[in-house]
Amino acid sequence: MRARVFVTLKPSVFDPQGKTVTDALHTLGYAAVKDVRQGKYFELDIDTRRPDEARTLAVAAADKLLSNPVIESYRIEIVDEVTA
Amino acid sequence: MKFAVVVFPGSNCDHDAQYAAQHVLGQQAEYIWHKDTSLEGADVVILPGGFAHGDYLRTGAIARFSPIMAEVQKFADAGGPVLGICNGFQVLLEAGMLPGAMLRNRSVKFQCEHVLVKVEQTDTPFTTACRSGQVLRIPIAHGEGNYYAEPEVVARLEKNRQVVFRYTNAEGMPTDESNPNGSVANIAGLCNEQRNVVGLMPHPERACEMALGSADGLVLFESAVRSVVNGVGGHFSRTVAAR
Repeated sequence: MRARVFVTLKPSVFDPQGKTVTDALHTLGYAAVKDVRQGKYFELDIDTRRPDEARTLAVAAADKLLSNPVIESYRIEIVDEVTA
Repeated sequence: MKFAVVVFPGSNCDHDAQYAAQHVLGQQAEYIWHKDTSLEGADVVILPGGFAHGDYLRTGAIARFSPIMAEVQKFADAGGPVLGICNGFQVLLEAGMLPGAMLRNRSVKFQCEHVLVKVEQTDTPFTTACRSGQVLRIPIAHGEGNYYAEPEVVARLEKNRQVVFRYTNAEGMPTDESNPNGSVANIAGLCNEQRNVVGLMPHPERACEMALGSADGLVLFESAVRSVVNGVGGHFSRTVAAR
């Protein structure tokens, strides 16, 4: 299975990089962009056929390493790499 | 007495810290490779600045898994004095040995300049030789030194007097102009509740001789020596001396 892990700064945490990207988009004329939050994306290829096992492992990886719970939160999608 | 300077792949202020301890202060200072599993009887441990493991993932995030960190944790738990400078501070945060986390500087730039920091607490092993309220001129060099913690964590830090260093102006006032990176409450450095683990973003080891433009940082190293050798400053020194 494949786990997609999206790590982003918590909504309460200021994102200086996202702010800079927002400003740059405004410079390009995309005034409709109100805000940008920058994050990280991980793909984990996991040696199992069971989605629940893959999710359990991905959650552990996100908690212990991929995210810093002080400033970041994460979202996980589990996909079958055969069909993905 | 003996300093241990931990060397991670990517550390680049290890020699500066070793120089400050050994050549300026005349103490023994040994390098300890991050894969080692012994601190070899050190009295003080320094986690130096740099870019440990290339700052991959997050600053300090990989370094905290280096084998030596288990020993550093044990040493700290036993009351041993540990100083994290810049990247070393980031490692202590990721390891959970100090509370909070680092964000990108609000300028989104790597900032390399001399700043002013006020010493607010003198009962840590790295500030016993300071005057309370003393303003030090020492350099910063970081892209991610924008200290963040939840408001209730910051309130607890203030209540427990864990904010050891704060960015201020020359009068010791923590103004927004004197805050180089956007750190919450102008926090430049802090200690744990036991007060033996201290982390700060500015580089005292780069300000330990007038030839470097400032010798204000030397007082942190002098404090460490005084704490260990003279037993000044509380339980930590006695604990270490008893080992």
